[in-house]
Amino acid sequence: MNLHSIVLKDISRRKTKLIVAVLGVVVAAAALVAVVTTFTAATESLYEESNTFGANIVVKPETRSIPLVAGSTSAGSLFTGENYIEESEIPRIYTIENKANLAVVAPRLYGIAELGNSPVVVMGVDPEEEMKLKAWWNIRGHWMAEEGPEKTEIMVGSDIAGPMGLEEGSLVTLKQGDVYIDARIAGVIESTGGNEDGYVILPLAASQYLFGKEGKVSSLEIRALCNDCPVEEMSRQIMEVFPGLEARPMSQIVQNEMTMIEHAQSSAMAVSVIILLVSALTVASTMLASINEKIKEIGIMRAVGASDTQIVSMLFLEGAIIGALGGILGFFIGTGASFIAAPLTVSVTPSPIWMILPAVSGICILTGMAASLVPARKALGIDPAEVLRSV
Amino acid sequence: MSEGPEKLIRVKDVAKGYRIGSHEVEVLHGINLEVREREFISIMGQSGSGKTTLMNLIGMLDRPDSGRILFNDVDITGKTQKELVEFRRRTVGFVFQQFHLIPSLTAYENVAMPLVFAGDKDHDAVASALERVGLAHRMDHKPVELSGGEQQRVAIARAIVMKPKILLADEPTGALDAATGLRIISLLKSLSGDMTVVMVTHNRELASYSDRIVHIQDGNIAE
Ligand SMILES: Nc1ncnc2c1ncn2[C@@H]1O[C@H](COP(=O)(O)OP(=O)(O)OP(=O)(O)O)[C@@H](O)[C@H]1O
Ligand SMILES: [Mg+2]
Repeated sequence: MNLHSIVLKDISRRKTKLIVAVLGVVVAAAALVAVVTTFTAATESLYEESNTFGANIVVKPETRSIPLVAGSTSAGSLFTGENYIEESEIPRIYTIENKANLAVVAPRLYGIAELGNSPVVVMGVDPEEEMKLKAWWNIRGHWMAEEGPEKTEIMVGSDIAGPMGLEEGSLVTLKQGDVYIDARIAGVIESTGGNEDGYVILPLAASQYLFGKEGKVSSLEIRALCNDCPVEEMSRQIMEVFPGLEARPMSQIVQNEMTMIEHAQSSAMAVSVIILLVSALTVASTMLASINEKIKEIGIMRAVGASDTQIVSMLFLEGAIIGALGGILGFFIGTGASFIAAPLTVSVTPSPIWMILPAVSGICILTGMAASLVPARKALGIDPAEVLRSV
Repeated sequence: MSEGPEKLIRVKDVAKGYRIGSHEVEVLHGINLEVREREFISIMGQSGSGKTTLMNLIGMLDRPDSGRILFNDVDITGKTQKELVEFRRRTVGFVFQQFHLIPSLTAYENVAMPLVFAGDKDHDAVASALERVGLAHRMDHKPVELSGGEQQRVAIARAIVMKPKILLADEPTGALDAATGLRIISLLKSLSGDMTVVMVTHNRELASYSDRIVHIQDGNIAE
């Protein structure tokens, strides 16, 4: 028997008190672990996404070169966006050295048309290619077909569908100049928070007809399938094949998303730290409540020879045990919580991060010990003569 | 008068008061008391006369306002808190009216506690202390599983496990019936063969088993 076993026995006898104190720590630890686990999973899945789909590369006409080539007469058209890629030239992309890595080459044509009486951004796409890029879109309805059986099929973003009351099967007319297209809504894209929320999306051919741009596309979005894509290199290869086009690796986009996730993570961390502080108070008050019960016992221990240091170290040990139990339990509960929450919030399945178990336990042990400071101070003030006065 | 055994405790002109709110109430006014080695003395007096106060002073749980207390001619009133803890561990054992055992610990563990705090690794003394009080067979029992008299005997075992020079027992039979109380007194009497025993009691009959009775009256000793 030693000091530790006295503390352990004492703790095991006050099970309810112990559970309350431990729960305080568990909540904080679980929140901390859930945040870390979820955001780590989100970050990893972002990396993974950018790896599986390879680098995102956007190919556009190299706008700056237009004035040099076409002279001042074309300068005006530069600003109206009259620079296009010839659709017929797209297959040339498959002549680049890393052609095997080209998973998706999605042509797009952008323009502005009227839907009802409102101007809307229209994006013409190759539905088959686009579907590979945007597999994660939730569509109320279905993906539009390349060519509708009777009418042209289109999809609309939620910001357009909502105010206009459009849904699957609604019939609409798109107008651009003298050109009209009667279309049927194949589906509404549920809000993604991205640009598509405000887009009308229709098959490439229909958009070319609408804007009078037969055989032309505005840009190509390219995704490559490889583990460690030489993005920069592929962009260079593409520009070689298409002189006058600019191929830009979209690593910045991934970077931006990372920054967003990091922001969200730091605010979530801030919340967790606040929870941790609150939990320290919970533990402190629980220990303080139990010290009121324990005052007599502390008086007895001092009468039978316990020094102040021994009393305080017993209280610290108790705090540390509460912290450790709470930290370990909180780790598992937090991990479990992120398994439930992460798929719903950031659409990823996390995996337990064992690495943080020691850190979390350490933080919780320190929290428990910090929480013992108040009761320890109080214990030092206990006068055994007074406590043990036989009444 | 012949020189008796050595004087173990000397209480010299000790005064002690308590501050209640703004005014001071003096409980002991210049107490003088000498106790010999292996003497068994009883302290009697009315409730509130200051018996417990005196016991706490002798046991170094509290400090006098004035006067001195000497153990084997060593003045302990000047010792620091830290020195007192160490000195108390090896010199004094306490027995209380309410037993004051730790409920979560077994009889054995309760008795072992002073050894733990003193940092003594050898726990053989626990078994012999329990044997001494006749409870070796109950060492794995928790206090709730023991009778009042047995609990008090465990408390006595705890008080003597460090082989102290003095055993201070403040109304050790106060919570026990007459027959059980008598058993405790006879145990204390036998222990006084090895150590000084100072006992507070309200019971004249029990006090008569001791070598000497002192009365506290109006804050002074009246033998
Ligand atoms: N901590 C304290 N603060 C204020 N007054 C105190 C304190 N401790 C004791 N007293 C007072 O000092 C006086 C003596 O108390 P003490 O406990 O020594 O008496 P006692 O002789 O042991 O009485 P009893 O026989 O009832 O145990 C009492 O009047 C008591 O109220
Ligand atoms: Mg008393």
